[in-house]
Amino acid sequence: MKKLIIDILLGSLLVFSFTSLVLLIAGAPVLDAFKHIWLGAFASSIKISQVLSVWVPLTLCSCGLLFTFRANLWNIGIEGQVTMGAIGAMAVLRIPGIDPTLTLCLAFLTSMLCGGAWGLFAGLLKTRGGVHEIFGGLGLNFVSQGFILWLIFGPWKRPGIASMSGTELLNRKLWLASLPGWRVATAGIIITITILILTWLFLQKSRLGLKLKAIGQNPKAALLYAISPERYYLQSIFIAGSCAGIAGFIQTTGVYHRLIPSISSGYGYLALLLVMLSGYKIVLIPILAFFFASLNVGAIQLPIVLQLDSALAGVIQGCCVLCALFILGIRHDR
Amino acid sequence: MTRKITGILAVFVAAVALLLSPAQSHASADTFIFGLLMVGPANDHGWSQAHFEAGKEIERNIPGSKMIYIDKVNPADRPGVTIPFLVDDLVSKGAKLIIGNSDDMTDGIREAAILHPDIKFIHISGDDALNPDSPENLSNLMGKMEYGQMMAGFAAAMTTKTGKIGYLGPLINDETKRLAASCFLGARYAWTEVLKKDPADLSFKISWIGFWFNIPGVTSDPTQVAKNFFDSGYDVVISGIDTTEALIVADQKKKEGADVAAIPYDYEGACEIAPDACLGVPYFNWYPGYSYFINNIKNNDWKKEWLWLGPNWKDMNNTKKSSISFKNGNALPGDVQTKLAVFAKGLGNESISLFTGPLNFQDKSIFLKEGETATEKQIWNLPQLLEGMDGSSK
Amino acid sequence: MDVEFQHISKNFGQVQALTDVSLTARSSTIHGLIGENGAGKSTLMKILTGYQSKSSGSILLDGVEAQLNNPSQASNLGIGMLYQEPMDFPPLTVLENFSLGTPRQSRQELHFALKTLSIRFGFDLDPDLPVELLTVGERQQIELLRLIHCNIKVLILDEPTTGISPAQKEALFPALKQLAADGLTILLVSHKLEEVANLCSEVTVLRHGKLTHHTAAPFHFPKLLTAMFGFVPKRKDKGSARDKGSPILICKNIEASGERQGLHQCDITVAEGEIIGLAGLDGAGQSTFLRLAAGLISPDQGKVTLFNNSLPHGAKAYIRAQELHTSFIPADRLEESLFAGISLRDHFSLREEHGMFWQSRTRTRQRTEEAITTFSIKGTPEDLAEDLSGGNQQRLLLSLLNRNSRLILLENPTRGLDIQSGQWIWQHLRDELSPDTAIIFSSPELDEILHYSDRIIVFHDGNIVLDSAVADTSHGAIAAAMTGMREGTP
Repeated sequence: MKKLIIDILLGSLLVFSFTSLVLLIAGAPVLDAFKHIWLGAFASSIKISQVLSVWVPLTLCSCGLLFTFRANLWNIGIEGQVTMGAIGAMAVLRIPGIDPTLTLCLAFLTSMLCGGAWGLFAGLLKTRGGVHEIFGGLGLNFVSQGFILWLIFGPWKRPGIASMSGTELLNRKLWLASLPGWRVATAGIIITITILILTWLFLQKSRLGLKLKAIGQNPKAALLYAISPERYYLQSIFIAGSCAGIAGFIQTTGVYHRLIPSISSGYGYLALLLVMLSGYKIVLIPILAFFFASLNVGAIQLPIVLQLDSALAGVIQGCCVLCALFILGIRHDR
Repeated sequence: MTRKITGILAVFVAAVALLLSPAQSHASADTFIFGLLMVGPANDHGWSQAHFEAGKEIERNIPGSKMIYIDKVNPADRPGVTIPFLVDDLVSKGAKLIIGNSDDMTDGIREAAILHPDIKFIHISGDDALNPDSPENLSNLMGKMEYGQMMAGFAAAMTTKTGKIGYLGPLINDETKRLAASCFLGARYAWTEVLKKDPADLSFKISWIGFWFNIPGVTSDPTQVAKNFFDSGYDVVISGIDTTEALIVADQKKKEGADVAAIPYDYEGACEIAPDACLGVPYFNWYPGYSYFINNIKNNDWKKEWLWLGPNWKDMNNTKKSSISFKNGNALPGDVQTKLAVFAKGLGNESISLFTGPLNFQDKSIFLKEGETATEKQIWNLPQLLEGMDGSSK
Repeated sequence: MDVEFQHISKNFGQVQALTDVSLTARSSTIHGLIGENGAGKSTLMKILTGYQSKSSGSILLDGVEAQLNNPSQASNLGIGMLYQEPMDFPPLTVLENFSLGTPRQSRQELHFALKTLSIRFGFDLDPDLPVELLTVGERQQIELLRLIHCNIKVLILDEPTTGISPAQKEALFPALKQLAADGLTILLVSHKLEEVANLCSEVTVLRHGKLTHHTAAPFHFPKLLTAMFGFVPKRKDKGSARDKGSPILICKNIEASGERQGLHQCDITVAEGEIIGLAGLDGAGQSTFLRLAAGLISPDQGKVTLFNNSLPHGAKAYIRAQELHTSFIPADRLEESLFAGISLRDHFSLREEHGMFWQSRTRTRQRTEEAITTFSIKGTPEDLAEDLSGGNQQRLLLSLLNRNSRLILLENPTRGLDIQSGQWIWQHLRDELSPDTAIIFSSPELDEILHYSDRIIVFHDGNIVLDSAVADTSHGAIAAAMTGMREGTP
């Protein structure tokens, strides 16, 4: 615990000093920049709700990744699983003439199934084809990206328009509702908190969690306990894919209200880092996700207020990631 | 464990404290703040820069006006950032008017307009305002770039040696179809009426890349598309996208000894990147449109409008008056410049009307009968490309 | 060069690995260092080679205190070590491996040096062969020549005869004696008393990190054993031979790959109640056979029949074998059969609670506590498997064995255990399990096999070269079979 606090303090210090350096080089007022990032994320309830709308998919992906990391799987395909979840949701949302609530429920289930199936696909590539899940996952990310582009450019394009900018906007009845004055889908928050609790329960209390841990530690020995690693690899990656699929569903129905090529917004990759940074501890996931989300949201102030080249926000995020990896590295050495 | 809980509590307390702190606002009585959302970078030498410069011009000419802006507003550059989100932010900084400069922002602007009924919105290139059910605080502004593209097509046809003109198209929608068609009509006019050549010898090919600018991995790479054009005998490439790849490639090819040229798009200064390969640029000047709306707002004279502003034929290059213009480039020969001026004059006095029948669509169905002239609405909503154009209509 | 250890102590956290050890190895002698596993021999040698730091004490080389903070300092001072596992680069050739770490020399010079040294010690090495094609013994020879070529003054040998053939042993021993005669200081770490007696002029015994005995030749074995184990271990009388029942494991015409040579033309039938010892040099096919019977690997040809059911091919075979009451305990406990970072209780949860969704803490805890008492495991239910000692890990594994097992396959069951722990394990296996349970085990210790099994099967290069009742064979015959010499052939 003490180590963890030191890590976090050290990490923050690194992030801040590194970012300050970058800002200084860019000729920006350092303190102002930090102030604006802070205000940009927390100045009003609207902004906090925007932070939450990023927090939702980040946390969902992270929860899913906890399962695969526990089984020692590198589910880098999470990005594609978000995309496939969004596609699955959209496929249902496009069916006309069903009651909106029913449609949304169906879309939710389909997104879980699609994301899960996509994960399963990477899992099968590993267990049946002997393809390492990192390569399988990366490959499938490309496939899903190609697929969503094809859909947006092809069968699902707006009438008379072929643009990469997205499909037609969903009927308002199919938007996930938010509280007045809030910019985040209430259902998204509820789902995410539920998934967080379920993840904790499954990983800590269920035999599934224990088996995944056993397989993650020693797949050879698992066999001696009549636990088939293949089966649990598939189960964990299916669960991860389902969580990612839900994130895709919320991105589609609660944030963009349509399908866009970058529907996953890189949250899958960010979640991978976040989970590693958390040391695979679920307590830290919502907190770290909140931190990354507020940085993501707050950084937009840099181009608006300080007229900094907007690429700088990306540089700052990159710094955070590097610092995270650095901390991980020294934590490993200790 | 207790420490963990304390930590979590601390974060929440901090969040709540911030929530209660008042939102900042710079607005004072005599300033007029307007927010500009640009789809591409503010220095793209194209579409977004034209808007950015117009905003700067407003700041210089309308006392008390102040622009706040954000560029690269598209999901590829700013994943997770949505239009309503940015509008919320600009409004919290005191913006009274929001200008969204991309067709891509249609849905977001509409959503934001509903969320902020007391803020005025201008969506560039859309036509929401034509719909009676659309929000009253949302107007549309567009320039009649058809004329600019006709001149571009004219200049291209007058210059090409191979009779093959390439058109680097963005995505396919009504706007891009009508612009490409205008360009083609200008080119065909030059080819048949001025050069008196056989229309069958003129090849006009469109390649759509999928978006207004290059998004690696998502769109086709415009540099590559332009290269393909030049490598397969197209010696003039007209750009319909927001960025200047076509011109840059043309310049490279020219330096390698090829006799090629390009026409960029959108921004007055676009030729500056490679003046020697540039035949000229059809460009927007957004100042007249912006100032019209801002003055209306200041005079409490706002109404929902759909504004499609054309060139000021008498003084086409006057930034205060003309919304559309064509600026000659170094690569355009002097005699062609003269002929282009005559052509422009013809367009201005309507002695030359290119959207006049007989005109067929690409699928050979009739668009305009002999002698029939298209209405504004017919041009605005052009359903497909025209006969004689090579490229996809949907 | 005389090596003098003075009051060396070493502790890892709470654990005291070495306590006040002082000994002197003189030049031109071979000094034996013996003790059971975990007695501290390796730690002492690692301190000398600079791989580990000492907590207190000092090391004197020719009377001068030496700084040995890292391996390169040690090697600069002329200390070289021959490891149990060859520390070489398999894809490189003999000559290339030989050249590593030696002063810069031309290829011809190196070639000449290698040739000369080979002749001097009677080794037969082809300089251009990649090392991966050689046997462990040959690789050891290269390593030895390399060290000598580097002009070392102190040579440490860690169990040098594990995994090498008797012929190679025949070549190694005179070489070592010759090296000692030439003035080298040799430290020999071993647990094989015969070897030590054969080679060494002095012997130091360590036990639990303390020096318990020091003596010069000639040696009195009972005294050495007492120093090693505290008392001369008395093995229980050999249990009575058990009755054989109907056949439960039938292997027919098996061809399989695994280990060095795979398994060839393997025909074995095992009946209820049999206790079979598998002997052979390391990697001769015993482990492959055990894994084959356990369903962990599938044969390339032939069929394995367990309790009249033939095992399926592929990954399902192992689960099927378990359903057929067959249990397997591999030698490498933390690598293959336990989860290092998981508590004892969770091991029981994993083993026993099939078909349940939630973990049941109280029940498994109770079950674990029972097992801890029954198997006298030193640990609590919440201890992690990696925190247990080897003996306790083995007990844990036994306690996790399915109690309905009727065929138990054990790979080197007493590996790394002291004699008492080993005895306990065997007592449990023979007495606690139902007498119709068949046990098949492999062991590198011929004594263990002769003592506990009713039948012995000897493997050599993947072939079964001897299959006989223990009563009908002799120590000599087995040793000959293990080294590939059939009875009657020279």
